[in-house]
Amino acid sequence: MTVDRTKLATERVIGVAALVIAVLAPTLFSAFWLNSILTQALILGIGAASLIFLSAYGGMISLAQTGLMGIAGYALANMVTQRVPGGETKGLLLGWDPTVGLVAAILLTVGIGLVFGAVASRSYGIYFLMLTLTYTVIAFLFVGSVTLIGGFSPVAGVDIYTPGFIGDIATDRERLYYITLITAVFVYVLVRYLVRTPFGVSLQGIRDEPVRMASLGYNVALHRTIAFGIGAFIAALGGVLYAWWFGQLSPTTMGLDATIQMLVIAVIGGLRRIEGAWLGAVAFLMINNEITNRIPSSGLPVIGGTFNTVIGFIFLAIVIISPDGLMGLWDRMWDALRRRGGPPHAEPEGTEPAAVASS
Amino acid sequence: MKVGRWKLLLPLALLAVGATIGTSGALATPSQASDVKFAIMTDCKGAFAFGYEVDTAGTIAALSQYAGAKPKNKKKPSAGMTGGTAGGKRLNLVGIGCGDETPALALKETRRLMVQLKADIMIGPLSGDESVSIANWAKQNPQKTVIIGTAGAQDPTMQIAPKNLFRYHGDGAQWNAGLGEIVYKRLGWRTAALIGDDYSFPWTSAAGIIADFCGIGGRITKRVWTPPAGGDYAPFIRQLPRPNQVDGYFWLVGGANTSAALTAFEQAYGPVNARQHSGNLFLYFLGANTTVAPRLVGAYFGGFGTFQTGGLKKAQAVQYVKNASKWFTGQNVNDGFFYNYWNAAWAMVQGLNKSKGAVGAALQRALPRSIKPGFQVANNGVLKLDSRRQAIQDQYPLQITKASGSGTVTASIAGYVPNVDQTFGGYFGPNKPAPGRNYPPCVKRKLPWQGKIKVVKNGVITNQNIK
Repeated sequence: MTVDRTKLATERVIGVAALVIAVLAPTLFSAFWLNSILTQALILGIGAASLIFLSAYGGMISLAQTGLMGIAGYALANMVTQRVPGGETKGLLLGWDPTVGLVAAILLTVGIGLVFGAVASRSYGIYFLMLTLTYTVIAFLFVGSVTLIGGFSPVAGVDIYTPGFIGDIATDRERLYYITLITAVFVYVLVRYLVRTPFGVSLQGIRDEPVRMASLGYNVALHRTIAFGIGAFIAALGGVLYAWWFGQLSPTTMGLDATIQMLVIAVIGGLRRIEGAWLGAVAFLMINNEITNRIPSSGLPVIGGTFNTVIGFIFLAIVIISPDGLMGLWDRMWDALRRRGGPPHAEPEGTEPAAVASS
Repeated sequence: MKVGRWKLLLPLALLAVGATIGTSGALATPSQASDVKFAIMTDCKGAFAFGYEVDTAGTIAALSQYAGAKPKNKKKPSAGMTGGTAGGKRLNLVGIGCGDETPALALKETRRLMVQLKADIMIGPLSGDESVSIANWAKQNPQKTVIIGTAGAQDPTMQIAPKNLFRYHGDGAQWNAGLGEIVYKRLGWRTAALIGDDYSFPWTSAAGIIADFCGIGGRITKRVWTPPAGGDYAPFIRQLPRPNQVDGYFWLVGGANTSAALTAFEQAYGPVNARQHSGNLFLYFLGANTTVAPRLVGAYFGGFGTFQTGGLKKAQAVQYVKNASKWFTGQNVNDGFFYNYWNAAWAMVQGLNKSKGAVGAALQRALPRSIKPGFQVANNGVLKLDSRRQAIQDQYPLQITKASGSGTVTASIAGYVPNVDQTFGGYFGPNKPAPGRNYPPCVKRKLPWQGKIKVVKNGVITNQNIK
């Protein structure tokens, strides 16, 4: 495998610059941007990262990630909120210690993810897609139908009950931003590390040649199940952060719209590179925010419609122009520049996605 | 592979434009000190999408009447307004929130309006769960002021009750006060089933019916809850007892879905007998007067505490209708959506005048604890707020009727219940659970107005009690 070292160095510089900007964000951006755009983008990016991890390295495009995020959020919300005067009114209101609730919510989600993964591990392509969509629909209908855990009404106050090491994030939103940033960096490093381990390499082998890997003695279903469990763990981190950020949970946070939104984020960012998760989330939220404020309430001129129409057009454009999303656009832009200036470090044509992704 | 230049340049150009536009809002813009920024929160999607123009009309009409504003377009309220001052400051409508009755979108829109667009005051939301969500948000943002538009869940002003949240109209239970007693006495119902959407407003709405109907001795034999998103009602209708197994049905299915649910009932059990059906405001308001009401002529239903055709023959009501009618064309000012947003906006103006344009805690102290709205009769026409800033309002149970002569389906007043408070005389309370699927239980209990509901004839409240 030949690596374009100039490109790698450039990407590292861009990555470090992005990280520096992210660290300095509270001093650079307004409070609204920090909380509603950047923090949310980091959280949705974590959710999308779980999707891209499964897609890029496991060959599994999962629509269950939003559902898993919701399960983690709902579990946390029901475990930690309390029935007190002037307090919350929906959900189980168990009033558990927030640290216990946090750990339990993540473990529960990973457990459910492993079960989901085991069931889906022998399915491929459209069947896998539909099966994972079913998981999210089941989760959505379950939390909506069982009013004991919330029903369609919001389970509120999740951001008030946080572990001591997390602190007061309900009023100190910068604190929440940094916690989210650290978690996002952790997820990024975790995925980059995992794909280099023997497990990660065999997972990529299973992605490309499942039959051959099985004939070599690898347990394909187990690998895919474990990968799904890891995806569930990442989604659980996103779900917990989402619950803290939003402060309330209701079924629509894990409904079909939210699932499609997560997929759109991943596609805009690029389904083949983990960095695309956060890039897609930032792009999506910026577009959403600006369009919501700029388009008149009556909709777009002539064609009507609002945000969904615009993001639909953008989605179509991305799929047609750059199927690998913004990260793919970057790759192609680099190739174009290299051709124009002459290749200082030639990269062979037809480099496998895995090589790019794990480079 | 050769890459087409346009395939590279076009997305890059789009990205550059997007980034420029996007980041243009990243830095805070200074606000003018002479402005009071406020927002309207309503729905433009889902079952209550039609509330968008109605709610906005009610708000802007009141600001036109009391604060010197002017609608930009008399036929399209959402076009906004010009002018308007209160407490010496210019009223700046920064945005109109577009919800879909889900709490998640309501909260997202609230944050956009109150944080990004920096509104200090929000009039809204429209729907029950939205108000629960926003009440919880308001609790954590005490410097912002929320005046509920027309949402009827009990929780926001009972169990949650943040000090910066006000409601100048009844909740869903208050809006059904007296209804259970009327069907018990006039139609002889002793057993009933109820069917409603599975969220806060219908639960609260049902709570009012249960308190009233069970309070006088009726029994609710079945409660069926449907997903609020609508869809196929047939499986839920089949869960109801058959028409020969109960004396009647209470309908609490919301918004545009009422008609579909009733159609599913007709398909399951044949043509409806109006004497066997009752329900909340969704039997007539919000467009149901043309889709649902014609099938249920004679049925009693709750309302918003407003009158319908014919009007209340009181100077205060006549004046309200006259004032409210002149700002927009095609708006029914008797509609509770219009009326409640009107009163909320009017209260905002009174509060700002008293606080001299100050917002935050000063405005919250200055917001009126009593107003004199169109359809209040008790207390010399003064509607008071209780200690949790919730209205104690008059209620008028209504009946679907046909107008004499024209034969058009309309609504008339069945009774008058003065001073309905949110606790129903202690039946509900801040330390009791909020209404839910199975709460409150069906128990016989004396309510403050039991046996005292007055008959209303031709818009005149009589001294006769309903028998």
